[in-house]
Amino acid sequence: MRKNIVYLIVILILSFTGCNSRTDKAHELKKMAVVISTLNNPWFVVLGESAVERAKELGYEATIFDSQNNTSKEAEHFENLIAAGYDAILFNPTDSEGSVSNVKRAKQANLPTFCMDREINSLDVATSQITSDNFSGCVALGEYFVRKLNKKGKYVELLGLVGDNNTWNRSKGFHSVVDYFPELEMVAQQSADFDRSKAMEVLESVMQSNPDIDAVFCGNDAMAMGAYQALIAAGKADSVMVFGFDGAKDVMDAIKDKKIVATAMQSPRQMAFTAAEMADEFLKGKRDFSKKTPLQVKVVTQENIDEFGAYGSDN
Amino acid sequence: MNKVLKYSILVVVLGLALYNSVNIEPLDQIKKSKSDLVFNAASYATDFMSNKIETLPAINASNFLGNISDDLENYTKQKGKKLGISDEYSFIIEGEARITEIEEEYVTVLLEENQELRISTEFIFGNAIRDGSGMANIDDYQNTMDFNSISVELNNIVRETVVPSFKKKAKIGDILYFKGAVTIDIADTQINGIKVIPMIIKFSD
Repeated sequence: MRKNIVYLIVILILSFTGCNSRTDKAHELKKMAVVISTLNNPWFVVLGESAVERAKELGYEATIFDSQNNTSKEAEHFENLIAAGYDAILFNPTDSEGSVSNVKRAKQANLPTFCMDREINSLDVATSQITSDNFSGCVALGEYFVRKLNKKGKYVELLGLVGDNNTWNRSKGFHSVVDYFPELEMVAQQSADFDRSKAMEVLESVMQSNPDIDAVFCGNDAMAMGAYQALIAAGKADSVMVFGFDGAKDVMDAIKDKKIVATAMQSPRQMAFTAAEMADEFLKGKRDFSKKTPLQVKVVTQENIDEFGAYGSDN
Repeated sequence: MNKVLKYSILVVVLGLALYNSVNIEPLDQIKKSKSDLVFNAASYATDFMSNKIETLPAINASNFLGNISDDLENYTKQKGKKLGISDEYSFIIEGEARITEIEEEYVTVLLEENQELRISTEFIFGNAIRDGSGMANIDDYQNTMDFNSISVELNNIVRETVVPSFKKKAKIGDILYFKGAVTIDIADTQINGIKVIPMIIKFSD
């Protein structure tokens, strides 16, 4: 009899605890994780913070995670997010190939992932991929480059991370224009990993063997600023044209000050907002998403700079 | 004897297992099957330009210019094709026109309704043909570069086959039929600066 009473009490306690935890879960805010490749670049900081801002506006708890450009670190984040019961991931991958397995793991755990800015080499694992139309942006930038150089001259190309599809979409878009003008000669094409300091070092080294260049085309704005610093140090800032890509604040200011010739504006805010809104729609039951949603990239020049704000914000 | 039989059976079983676990195929065959899996943008674009453009639906160029001048935003949203989130809309247009000017980068033509239009002969870039025709869907391409390569190859065909004969034959006053692709950015409208990427040019006798 005494044993039965003990069992009854245990069952009652357990069922109350269960009820409480269910009630807590119902009242808990749903959670979105924002996983960013690196927070060591202001452009990605804006991307991450905008995603958190929009997710919060939509009524979610949102936390930002920094992968420090390291796929293993990113894998750790994914494992933790799955274990912690997150409801959606707004994801900026570190590597188009290496990040696929992380998104796959999330999908197996029924956790939807929305890629931002960088794509992954799989159509089956992410719910949707929201990326800049890098190729078309660089086609337009390439046309402007050709006209600014009057179809002739020597130039250097600084590439981003070689494992990132964006690097090649930008480079190929640019070359799909510039290569048709035979008097435009590329004297060097080297990677500076989207990094400002590395871009400065690479250009300084390239200019030792090619002192007579007319322009530098950079795969992002951080490298454009690094290239510009190298040109200042070499006393060539006024004679060599620098072109970037991103629409970062320092480059937008440099275009206004006529230090940098042009950039291509991709809006991290619009991308992050779109990803958060898609995740919200998913969590409310929508399942029919386009696998890829490219965002238009616009060329920003010294002539039209006043129409744009940094990072695609309203001016 | 028993031992010999046992070893013989073992050897036969091992031999069969080894034979079935190794599959030898000619290297050429492997290379071919791998290359079959790689998307060939050039042949895709060639097939489109050779077999599909004659029957590709197109908007009358005069009507197109009239409509975008009357109600740009509504008309482009209803009739244009765009990629993802963008202010750019692409169209396929056609018409009969008379050549009025020949420049380094363009041939300017006058349409029946006295509207001017420029046909590009040097800056043949961008996605006007791919997006205006709707020939490809980005969701079908794992690597977006494959999707972008379609535009590169379409533009190459225009640059290598359509433009040279057009430039060679074109004289001021000539009457021609054209079908081509245009892209308009509704946030940056320069209606007078619309450029047609030519797909078909036929001169009247």
